[in-house]
Amino acid sequence: MSERSAHMSVMTSSAPRVRRMTLRRRRQVAGFLFALPAIALVVGFIGVPIGQAVYYSFTQWNGLTSTWIGPSTWAQAFHNSNLWTALENNALLLLAVPFALGLPLGIAVLLHQRVAGWRIFRSIYFLPTAISWVVLGLVAERFFAYQGTLNSIIHALGFSHVNTNMLGYESTALSALGITFVFTMIGTNTMLFLTGLATLDPSLEEAARIDGAGSWRIFRSITLPHLSRFIQLAFVMTVIALFSALFSLIFVMTGGGPGYATTTMEFLIYQTGFNQGDFGTAALYGLILFVLTGIVGVVQLRLIGSNE
Amino acid sequence: MTTLMTPPKESDSSNKSTRPSRASRSKVGRWVLFFAMMVIAVVMLYPFWVMIVTSLKSEAQFLAGQGFSWLSWKNLSATIPIGQEVLSSTIVCSASILIILVVGLPAGFAFSKLRFRTSTAVFLVIVSAMMVPLQAILMPEFVNVTKLGLTGGYFGAILVYAALGTPFSVFLFTTYFRGVPDELIEAGIVDGLSYFGALWRLVVPIAIPAIATVTVLQFIQIWDDLLVGLLFIQNTSERPITVGLAVLAAGRTTSIPELMAGSIISALPAMVVYLGFQRYLVKGLTMGIDR
Repeated sequence: MSERSAHMSVMTSSAPRVRRMTLRRRRQVAGFLFALPAIALVVGFIGVPIGQAVYYSFTQWNGLTSTWIGPSTWAQAFHNSNLWTALENNALLLLAVPFALGLPLGIAVLLHQRVAGWRIFRSIYFLPTAISWVVLGLVAERFFAYQGTLNSIIHALGFSHVNTNMLGYESTALSALGITFVFTMIGTNTMLFLTGLATLDPSLEEAARIDGAGSWRIFRSITLPHLSRFIQLAFVMTVIALFSALFSLIFVMTGGGPGYATTTMEFLIYQTGFNQGDFGTAALYGLILFVLTGIVGVVQLRLIGSNE
Repeated sequence: MTTLMTPPKESDSSNKSTRPSRASRSKVGRWVLFFAMMVIAVVMLYPFWVMIVTSLKSEAQFLAGQGFSWLSWKNLSATIPIGQEVLSSTIVCSASILIILVVGLPAGFAFSKLRFRTSTAVFLVIVSAMMVPLQAILMPEFVNVTKLGLTGGYFGAILVYAALGTPFSVFLFTTYFRGVPDELIEAGIVDGLSYFGALWRLVVPIAIPAIATVTVLQFIQIWDDLLVGLLFIQNTSERPITVGLAVLAAGRTTSIPELMAGSIISALPAMVVYLGFQRYLVKGLTMGIDR
């Protein structure tokens, strides 16, 4: 249908019908050729591997030779406690999402008040976004370390006998990872919300204020509804990052440990494939991750789609 | 989608005059606000403070918790092949971004102006590839690229980065070009331009802001990435800086002050790009939602 409308808009000349057909055909051929490299790259490096992953998930595969096993590989995988640990870790990390959205929302609202120097503050708040999560992981490790900043703060507050080592214990390592994740997401999400706030009509707010509405009421009834699309987008981006961008942090901070305490799905895939050489199971885990992010992705596509 | 061509809304100064009530609000409130923003600024600058202060210590001073010296900076190149790693990162980044642009621009032109049969469906398939995390297809991808013999040096990583960045660039260019009037292209074709000529002479020049957005976003993404560089560049002599740092950090034997010095060097280029092109980043992030 879109093809026809494009055809009508481009072909307005009164050339003979035959000539018009060939022109239209030429345009379509050119369009196809122009799109071809992108199609080839995406199909070759993303599409084909998805198909291969499905096939290899039914096999025993070490990267060189594969033997067909069948659906029992899936039954076996779900009996593996490591998979459940990783899924549980991912689920627990979802608890960080409200903070990864709420804090930036608050910061964006503060920035939006535009006190003196707010532009400088904005640049400062966004600056960590530019650095690699490898580097932020290194810094976070220093923060949580036994002789790190966290313990210094606790001691400065007067609790000199309290010593934490969050990354060292199974019970606390995941929380430390979650806190680091929240920090790494602040810049991006603040930027999103601030862009959203900038599109808010200030006269609405003024009118509400004249009508006697307090700041909190204005925030709840005007600001928040206006930001809903931006909050949805930030939510989707945050969840996708949580499922597929923690690798750098985990690699640097904990290596998935202690034990399997910080092994998420994406890290389990890496470990299973590259540390244990079990490519088949790793491919299978990849498909599980694919389905999980796919669910979030569908939400995202609907967000984009509903805007067009 | 035509909003892409308007200047960024948040940086305008016109709002200042329309906020009289803000100025009249209590002075105490303003100071509380300012104080809160200072506190947040301290938190956000914390990583930089840690990197700088720690790098200015020797290993012994770091362990002792006092004293400063340039020793870690002097020893840096002996521990981390920093020059070569920065060069590797630069090569991988530039080549990947070049492919992403060369492939994405004509595709965006095609999907917006030169629609062919099934082009809408193809476009949707490419855009949904944005949602596929590399980890999901990591094993087949790694084996494929290895079989092609490309996991030694830069080429495998460049192709993988290019493939991962292409869906976003196609999406961004397509939506951007939808804002270009059809008449402009028509006129060019009537004047005897080929479709390639129309793309090169008419479309690319007005696409500079979109090209900047793709370039900046992809630069930061690729420069900061670990997974692809770690697995698809097997030669340690061609390692990008992020991979070099991560491998040393995970090894737990390298002096932490030196790692921090290396971190500063790895962070600098991305920060410069970031501060210089902030507004293009914002545009890229809010693509498809900004009204």
